Amino acid sequence: MTWNWPYVAQIMPALLAGVWETFLVTVACAVIAIGGGLVLAVVSSLAGRPGRLAVRGVVELLRGVPILVVLYFGYYALPQLGVTLSAFFVGVLVLGVIYAAYCSEVYRGALLSIPAGTHDACAALGLSTVVTWRKVLIPLAVRRSVPALVNYVLVLYRQSAFLFAIGVPVLLARAQVAGDQSFRYLEPYTLTGVLYLTLNLPFVYLLHRHEARHAHIAV
Amino acid sequence: MPTSPSSGISAVAAIQFANVSKSFGANSVLTGLDLSVAAGERLTLIGPSGSGKTTVLRLAMMLDRPTAGDIRLFGESIVKGPGGKPRRAREAARLRRRCGMVFQQFNLFPHMTVLQNLTLAPRTVLRLSAEESEQRALDHLRMVGLEDKRTAYPGQLSGGQQQRIAIARTLALRPDILLLDEITSSLDPELVGEVLEVVRRIAQETDITFLIVTHEMRFARQVSDRVAMFDSGRIIEEGSPELIFSEPRCERTKSFLRSVLDH
Repeated sequence: MTWNWPYVAQIMPALLAGVWETFLVTVACAVIAIGGGLVLAVVSSLAGRPGRLAVRGVVELLRGVPILVVLYFGYYALPQLGVTLSAFFVGVLVLGVIYAAYCSEVYRGALLSIPAGTHDACAALGLSTVVTWRKVLIPLAVRRSVPALVNYVLVLYRQSAFLFAIGVPVLLARAQVAGDQSFRYLEPYTLTGVLYLTLNLPFVYLLHRHEARHAHIAV
Repeated sequence: MPTSPSSGISAVAAIQFANVSKSFGANSVLTGLDLSVAAGERLTLIGPSGSGKTTVLRLAMMLDRPTAGDIRLFGESIVKGPGGKPRRAREAARLRRRCGMVFQQFNLFPHMTVLQNLTLAPRTVLRLSAEESEQRALDHLRMVGLEDKRTAYPGQLSGGQQQRIAIARTLALRPDILLLDEITSSLDPELVGEVLEVVRRIAQETDITFLIVTHEMRFARQVSDRVAMFDSGRIIEEGSPELIFSEPRCERTKSFLRSVLDH
């Protein structure tokens, strides 16, 4: 089998539509993961022991079950309980919430790494709990978490391929459909790999830019 | 400058420790401490590391709670409220506002510019307007000689500059009492002078009450009205700087001063 350029031109629009869908899924999941993770970490830090244990339990549950199992549960089992959601919504919610659990661990580590002296300074200045968290602890924790969070977004972006399993037309799904229709799999999957790899680069660039811009801020 | 006895009630005491003890688990740091600092007085605590000096400052700043005893700021207990119940958080915060503390490690907020470090508390605690808090911040930056660093981040400054910013940040809240916890211990020797000079100037130009913990004996001698020697969680000797540094009575004070001054 040889590489077929006319076929590449023919399937490219569908693959690019898949890239857009993948991008949307990744952004939506990242918003849930990064925002939800922060909420989980802050609640875990502020809540007493029962609250901390509850958050810990949720995090362990989400990290301990394979993504596909949760996806199938959300898409196939929930309707039998009377809750029917679109494949896109289920996929984004499942990936977002699972990665929120991972991100919460990143934030938790970052919060723990903030020196005790910073807490003392906040108390000595008389800052309220809200101001302490909003202006000092959360910004510091987020800055310290950025490299790890970007890595998780990259993983999310690759793992968005799982959503193919419930019919979300992400890039992998488009490649599969193209292949099944023509029985040519070389071009769709090669291009899919190249596109996934290429789309990684903006994230890597953003990470380097963040590190360069904040190099003088020793957080 | 008024001096006050180390125990007993004083009507004008800015800070008063009455039979205060503090333990961390089985480790007893302070035992039955009686200490009084008159309003406007400058008291320096000296003594070996681990003798409980920093704990005194942390208790006065309410960063730690005493295991027993009472602490009063200008006559009001920061430990007990009316009826002997523990102080409510809001009341404690109001009392704490009269104290400011400068730390050994500066503890500036690294993600904020110098100006943001100085305006955060005046804006959110004192509820000053943006203009007022900025003006106040600039006044204090001028006082510590760092007005031109307002847009810098702490990581771009030397240790001495960071400590001067930390002093300005504390002063921006206009405290009645300034607690200085070994503020030169983290600095390179050549940066110590600039920080101490700033403190000397503040001591001369204001009537703030100072409670200082330091290992800089020359500075302690110059700036203090009274010096107290700490050992094993209690004061073993106190008096005027001349008395403590020239004619110490206790053997422990003599040996401590010898070891510090020989360095």
